[in-house]
Amino acid sequence: MTGLLELREKIKIFYSKYEVFILPVVKFLLAFVVLNTLNGQLGYMTQLDNIAIVLIAALVCSFLPVGGIIFFAVVFSLLHMYALSMEVALVGGCMYLLMFLLFFRFSPKESLVVVLTPILFVLKIPYIMPVAMGLLGTPASMVSVGCGVAVYYLMITISTNAPTINTMGTDEISAKLRLLIDGILNDKAMLVMITAFAITVMVVYLIRRMSVDYSWTIAVIAGAMINMLILLLGDLLYDTNISVVGVIIGAVVAVFAGKVIEFFRLCLDYSRTEKVQFEDDEYYYYVKAVPKMSVAAPTKTVKKINEQKRTSMQQMRSGGTVRRTVSSSGTGSSRSVTTERTGTGRSTTQRGQTAYTRRNDYSGSGRSVTINSNNMTTDRDTDDYEELF
Amino acid sequence: MLNEERVILMTKMASYEEKEGKKNVAIGNYFRGDYIGIQVLKSIFCATVAYVIGFALFIFYDFEVFMQDLYKMDLITFAGNVLLWYALTVVAYGIVSYAVYSYRYTKTKKSLKVYYHNLKKLNSLYDE
Repeated sequence: MTGLLELREKIKIFYSKYEVFILPVVKFLLAFVVLNTLNGQLGYMTQLDNIAIVLIAALVCSFLPVGGIIFFAVVFSLLHMYALSMEVALVGGCMYLLMFLLFFRFSPKESLVVVLTPILFVLKIPYIMPVAMGLLGTPASMVSVGCGVAVYYLMITISTNAPTINTMGTDEISAKLRLLIDGILNDKAMLVMITAFAITVMVVYLIRRMSVDYSWTIAVIAGAMINMLILLLGDLLYDTNISVVGVIIGAVVAVFAGKVIEFFRLCLDYSRTEKVQFEDDEYYYYVKAVPKMSVAAPTKTVKKINEQKRTSMQQMRSGGTVRRTVSSSGTGSSRSVTTERTGTGRSTTQRGQTAYTRRNDYSGSGRSVTINSNNMTTDRDTDDYEELF
Repeated sequence: MLNEERVILMTKMASYEEKEGKKNVAIGNYFRGDYIGIQVLKSIFCATVAYVIGFALFIFYDFEVFMQDLYKMDLITFAGNVLLWYALTVVAYGIVSYAVYSYRYTKTKKSLKVYYHNLKKLNSLYDE
């Protein structure tokens, strides 16, 4: 656990230091994966199914806000649908428009979920999404996760019916529309999936907000189990052909992902370096505010100070040996500090002084200080070290 | 001379203004009734567009049959049903919008209270 905590701090420090570079790279990778998946799933427009175009689009996305990825994903999918048939593009366009007008107008931040959910479906780990949104989102995330599921099943319906649509003539507009709309609305698997995900989001959200110990862990496990239960029940009732093994493995993966999110949740809300500009009557201010790091990276320090000299006469007169050991252990840290002094009498050194300040003034007695520490904070180190003297 | 306390306060406020403050200040400029009214009107417009899209898909779903039935059906009853569903959609969506924007306005006002308090504090620091 200590190692994981150290890793988290290191990641946090690394991210806060290089955020300017990391964020565009993450956006680039996300856009690349999203657009490539779209090309793999639909891919009817051969001109778009080109790595150079995907790379250029992903590069543009890396400099745009997150909405840029959503915009490119919508454009790519509509162009693919249009290449298959205009009616397909019409149905897809109407669906996107309805989602935007009725829901994403309220919470545009949630629109990334609609893009990520189909990607997770393609990666065979969609059960992560409701658990993750229950932990990080709001009850409104039920709708966004549901929209994501609907988008995935729209793509599935299109790719399933593509051969039939290709054989239809251009004048069979109504038949094509009917085929698609029936395919989407009568898809029992989609309805079961939307219901299961929506209920899971709600359950996870409600439990993780409860003021009980381990509420996040309980929420993750309860959410994964309820999700599994509803999907299996749906399979029994409507014969949705959902893979039972897949659901069970998915639930285990969802629990694991939930624990990872729980572990890193504090990193998601950390204070960043701020660069702000303002002015008053006298000055222009260009301020860079760097947050203080409360926990430093672990360092192992061994200091041996021998043959120290003191000017204090009491110290010079001191004889015999006094040995003190101070050890402390806290969450994820342990340390021991040993001081050894040779001589007689007692030390009258004031607390707060460090060995460094006295080292050269020492004479007549030997002194050694050894500090071993694992995962101790810099601030605490100093305090304890001073406390000892 | 630079006043350290003033700079820290101004930095905090500038940081807030850059993030959620920009949106919150814009919302805070409205009276509660005006803000919610405008947002509900926008919602009604969006619901109308969404209803038209849904209705168009319904018509085109079985266009031939609809055109055949058009001469047989009671158009007034049909129009009445369409308008009833439209009214239900708009009212339901309007109520949801009202609830959402009321909550958002209250939350924004609370957030702005702290901002305005800091603004007063900054003003007093300049007067010193």
